[in-house]
Amino acid sequence: MARWGDGQYLRAGGMVAVAIGVCLVVRPHLATVDIAMILLLSVVAAAARYRRGPALLACLLSTAAFDYLFVPPYYTFDVFNPSYFLTFGVMLLVALTMSGLTARIREQREIAHEREQQSRALCALEADLAAAEGADALFAAAATHLGRAASASAAIFALARPDDAGEVPLPNVPAFDDPAVRVAATWAWTRGIATGWGTAHGGEVPVMLLPLRAVTGAAGLATIRPADPAIPLSSAQRATVEAMAAAIASALDRHLLAQQNERARADVEAERLRTALLSSLSHDLRTPLAGIETSASTLLDEAAPLPAVTRHELLASILDESRRMTRLIGNLLSMIRVETGMLVVQQLWQPLEEVLGVALLRMEERLKAHPVTTHIPCDLPMVSIDELLIEQVFLNLLENAARYAPAGSPIEIVAQQDGAAVLVEVGDRGPGVPAGEEERVFERFYRGGRAASADGGAGSGLGLTICRGIITAHGGRIWVAGREGGGAAVRFTLPLIGVPAPAPAELMSC
Amino acid sequence: MAAALPLVLIVEDELHMRRALRATLVGNGFQVVEASGAREGLMQASGRNPEVILLDLGLPDLDGRDVTRALRRMTTAPIIVISARGQEHDKVQLLDLGADDYLTKPFGVAELLARIRVALRHAARPLTSLEEPIVLAGDVMVDPLRRQVFRKGAVVHLTPTEYRLLITLLRHAGRVLTHRQLLEQVWGANYAAQTHYLRVYMTQLRHKLESDPTRPRLLLTEPGVGYRLREPSEA
Repeated sequence: MARWGDGQYLRAGGMVAVAIGVCLVVRPHLATVDIAMILLLSVVAAAARYRRGPALLACLLSTAAFDYLFVPPYYTFDVFNPSYFLTFGVMLLVALTMSGLTARIREQREIAHEREQQSRALCALEADLAAAEGADALFAAAATHLGRAASASAAIFALARPDDAGEVPLPNVPAFDDPAVRVAATWAWTRGIATGWGTAHGGEVPVMLLPLRAVTGAAGLATIRPADPAIPLSSAQRATVEAMAAAIASALDRHLLAQQNERARADVEAERLRTALLSSLSHDLRTPLAGIETSASTLLDEAAPLPAVTRHELLASILDESRRMTRLIGNLLSMIRVETGMLVVQQLWQPLEEVLGVALLRMEERLKAHPVTTHIPCDLPMVSIDELLIEQVFLNLLENAARYAPAGSPIEIVAQQDGAAVLVEVGDRGPGVPAGEEERVFERFYRGGRAASADGGAGSGLGLTICRGIITAHGGRIWVAGREGGGAAVRFTLPLIGVPAPAPAELMSC
Repeated sequence: MAAALPLVLIVEDELHMRRALRATLVGNGFQVVEASGAREGLMQASGRNPEVILLDLGLPDLDGRDVTRALRRMTTAPIIVISARGQEHDKVQLLDLGADDYLTKPFGVAELLARIRVALRHAARPLTSLEEPIVLAGDVMVDPLRRQVFRKGAVVHLTPTEYRLLITLLRHAGRVLTHRQLLEQVWGANYAAQTHYLRVYMTQLRHKLESDPTRPRLLLTEPGVGYRLREPSEA
């Protein structure tokens, strides 16, 4: 805004001086009117380039020079021919018109430039707001942009809407230590109007308090603190700040709505889990329990002595049903852990072979009707797994294979390295998974059409759900596939990330 | 028979579990003394001098670690921890504190009796002396004096570490050894946290001694806890 100091007057004068010089040189060859044209040119040039003041100076200088040097009588300001007044008048008019035109063009260019800057700042803000996850990140991103737009430091505080008494619960931070700021903040917040520095409601408050109100409810209050409150906010900056406040408020709205949706979805999911659990508890647990109770009371009934064979049968069924309940409760607990995100995974480097061995040993009785083959290359890298959880995956997969594949049919377990993961397959020769059900089998309590299994006992419908939860928690994938020659294959991957510290000397040999 | 029946102390707060344990043990030739809580258990342990202690992991009145420490101060009788599934971490702590073995509920009678028998044998002969050649499951024979191992009659070449690992397990045959215990005894105290060393060597040992390493008959894994060499008599 330094009108005098920027040298425009000097340069305008210089342009006229050059024109005068040229005129002096060419004077012998030109008519006086032509001289006027040359001088007029310098006026036009100055008017086109500089503001109105310097343009007027050029006009006056060239008019004076024309009169003094080139209009007879020379070297006086007297004028013999009155028609030269017309020339002076035209020169003046041209200078004024030109400088007016250029000023308007320049103004428009500046406005365009400001608009461009503003929209660029808004775009950057929107991009950052869209990328921000959570209200805190959103506020932080918004504060950075607000501060930049106002050439100040900005911060945003989450605030609830004022209560009925109009009390605004301002956060207990140094920004609000100044009582004037507190008053202004309350005023701004209750009225929803920007207050303080750089606004129409400035007062002596050195900070701008900019309320950000979202339609959905909660919102925030931005404080914009300039380095020097004496320097006002330009109108362009103010426009940018206001536009930003609107953008931030609507981003807040989007964020809050997304949060509400997420919560609603989680509620629905939790409700479904509850319903599923309830039906499982009421049916799947009560059935074996009823069997146990009946068997036990029959055994205790001394009025009707039982033959030894029957007694043994009843005792065996009590044992069977108890084991079934144990398995079911274990599965239910695992499922709840998986589905509520309470699964704790303690990964350690270990050979897959060992975990598989534990599962095979525990399933020995269950699997005695099936020849089980394993193919694990002895140079298979160690995997970083929670052995108890991966053991459970194997147990569930083997349990399914034993349940659905006909007696005598083989079960094959293959593991191999597949890029940056270990790929494991447990395959059976059972009826396989019906086409189109490949994803549904992982839904909890899915029993599909397979409820009537080879051994007559229904599963809990939780095995694969738990497997997926466990494998996902290990960063792997699990899916079912058909097998050439019939049967189902469940495949899962365990990522190989990082490597364990090497064992000392005497290394593994195949 | 002059020798009295071995006395087992059952420290278990759950009445039905205690009743079942008592019935099983009495029926299998043991004397039983019961305690329904940790404090009572400690009193019985010092007063009655049991030969084996069955200690439930989740007693309400005292922390299992404190009970184990206290028991270890008053008696060398083997402690067998009875735990539920999912308590591996607590189990390992008690084993490292001096408990001898563990059982996971629900367990069968055979398993319970096997654990008690092993515990009694180790108590009678601390650190099984290794002189005579021993035949193990899977037709494996160890000749400690000549430091040689045979499988189906053929010599198996073990590295010094593999041999030390096998012998350590053999000295405690039938008993669980935690990862830490094995690492400290075979590699030294500095290696106590390097469980993957142990796993690599155990895998190697299985490949050399087991006919099917994915279904070990001799070198058993106790998931989340450690390893156990199957007792020769169990084979």
